[in-house]
Amino acid sequence: MAVGESQIESGSESVAEDDDVEARVGWRYTVAQVKRDTTARWGLYIVSFVLFVAVYALIDSNLSRLTFGHVSNYRFAQLLPIFDHPTHIPPPGEGRAHVPPYFPLAEQSWNPLPAGGTLEHPLGTDRAGRDYFTRIVYGTQVSVFVGLISAFIGLLGGTLIGATAGYYGGRIDDVLMRAVETVYSIPPLILIIVFTVFVGGANIWYAVLGVGITFVPVFARIIRSRVLSIREMDYIEAARAAGVRDRNIILRHVIPNSFAPVLVYATLQIGVTILIVAGLSFLGYGAQPPTPDWGAMLRTAHGYMHSNVWLSIWPGIAIMITIMGFNLFGDGLQDALDPRIND
Amino acid sequence: MKLLKYTIYRLLQAIPVLIGISVITFLLANLGPGDPVSLMLQGQEHTEAQVRAIEQRYGLDKPLHERYVTYMAGLLQGDFGRSIHYRRPVADLMLERIGPTLLLVLSAYAFALVTAIPLGIIAANKRNEPTDHVSRIVALFGVSTPSFWIGIVLILIFAVKLGWFPSSGLVYPWRSPDSVRGISSYPELYYETLRHLLLPMIALGTLQMATIMRVERTQMIESLQGEYVKLARAYGVPERTILRKHAFNVAQLPIITIVGLNLSTAIGGAVLVETVFNINGMGRLFVDAIAQNDYQLVMGITMMLGFLFVMGVIITDISYAYVDPRVTYGESD
Repeated sequence: MAVGESQIESGSESVAEDDDVEARVGWRYTVAQVKRDTTARWGLYIVSFVLFVAVYALIDSNLSRLTFGHVSNYRFAQLLPIFDHPTHIPPPGEGRAHVPPYFPLAEQSWNPLPAGGTLEHPLGTDRAGRDYFTRIVYGTQVSVFVGLISAFIGLLGGTLIGATAGYYGGRIDDVLMRAVETVYSIPPLILIIVFTVFVGGANIWYAVLGVGITFVPVFARIIRSRVLSIREMDYIEAARAAGVRDRNIILRHVIPNSFAPVLVYATLQIGVTILIVAGLSFLGYGAQPPTPDWGAMLRTAHGYMHSNVWLSIWPGIAIMITIMGFNLFGDGLQDALDPRIND
Repeated sequence: MKLLKYTIYRLLQAIPVLIGISVITFLLANLGPGDPVSLMLQGQEHTEAQVRAIEQRYGLDKPLHERYVTYMAGLLQGDFGRSIHYRRPVADLMLERIGPTLLLVLSAYAFALVTAIPLGIIAANKRNEPTDHVSRIVALFGVSTPSFWIGIVLILIFAVKLGWFPSSGLVYPWRSPDSVRGISSYPELYYETLRHLLLPMIALGTLQMATIMRVERTQMIESLQGEYVKLARAYGVPERTILRKHAFNVAQLPIITIVGLNLSTAIGGAVLVETVFNINGMGRLFVDAIAQNDYQLVMGITMMLGFLFVMGVIITDISYAYVDPRVTYGESD
């Protein structure tokens, strides 16, 4: 933070300091900070890698053969059905011919390679003979998209509620914030499971929605406190005087100006989302078994824990690396945007 | 006196939240597409009259708001309704199962605090030195790894491979030693409890440890830069004393808040860890209740856990106010 500090010291007049504040919240400044910050840079590398793997799994149909035991032609247009399995169950007599042989690992449960370890199956195969490596690769897709979507739902809901509450204040604020506090008071995993099972019936989309809803409160709080300070700004006053409608003031002025800290928080939240969804799937309320989801894979592997150790290890490592990437990146962003914590 | 006022104020504040929790839980459990009666019958053959009888017995023939009022009236008298699956009062079931969960969560917190605070202080004191980097990496792993997976790995290494610790179950220290097989005295009982508790405690506590450590580090860094520390240094107070007394005390305040707020993650984690380690606590009870569509039990547990969290936050808030004389009790502002 040597740059920031020297700027403050040089800017003795208040005008110069105002410029400095402007420079500190700008996107260009953020990008420069991220480039300088080792943590953020490594986070960015990992996140990019994970995103690359996720997208790669979408377009490589050979992977899908190994993962599901049959060829299914994934295209971007088919993005939506990837989370649910029916499309992956091949019609009888078709596709199964491609199922690779199962490499029994029971004799050497601590050996990651299948008996006579092959290049074709670097991590061995699961009980159904599906290549474990490709399933892990596919799992990236589910985790990353689930994480992004539910963080986005939380961000969207939280922004709307927080901005409304902060802008109007008074009674509306009281009611909204109490509602938000209530949702916040039920432990997230519990709320998500109840929501998913009773409303949706153990379907990954309801799980995603549920996770999103549990994130609304934190986002709403952050946005609200930002809005409270922005509300008093002169340009809001000016807009109001010019007769701009409340809705437009909130959407065009208040939200865009309070977005930066929320975006950082959202990045950090993606990691938490992936963590929760993995837990949900592990309990059986997220992605369902044929879907190559890491949590669901761990659930299946839990049953074979004593005969094949490695089936329980790899998905966990994948989860850890992915979440670590988002956490590092988020931490770096936070440091970049909040100069106080830095040197 | 002021503190008592604040306590009452915070408790009163919790009432609308608790009512809100009950509304959300009740709506989720009752508005879902799953119809409780058909869940209870579970595909058995039934006549129209049987359905009516069940509906009447559980009051399901009444409109939703009436049912809610009945439920709440019962709740205020400590009646959580009857579990459909276990055919027993929900309150009894929860009382039986809350012990292991509390034991697990509290020991996880103990583990987290005992490890995180020294590590955080060392990291802050040796800032940007190798020790700091190592502890930051540990914290990063801690916040990035699912608790249930840590549990699985611990079982694989210490139970399956090395055989040092049991892989499942929990020995309750509040039972008499005779009730547990192969144990005759209290010391043995406590030893067994510890042996069973160690792995799940670490699995659940790691995330808490990591978050607490991060906060401790930041707080210590900030407090070491405080004016009072500079003053103490200027007076020639030894660095150790500054670290232990001047900087330490101030830095602990936010930890109290973190402990309270993290309770909700800890409860969620307990559900997973109890599943991995086969511990019969509230978490397992909840998972089973969900699997059995036992909506009365699900409602009861959700209410209970929400209540625990709200109380946890209030207790931490009050202890914060008690420790920190600067807190204004929410009156002046």
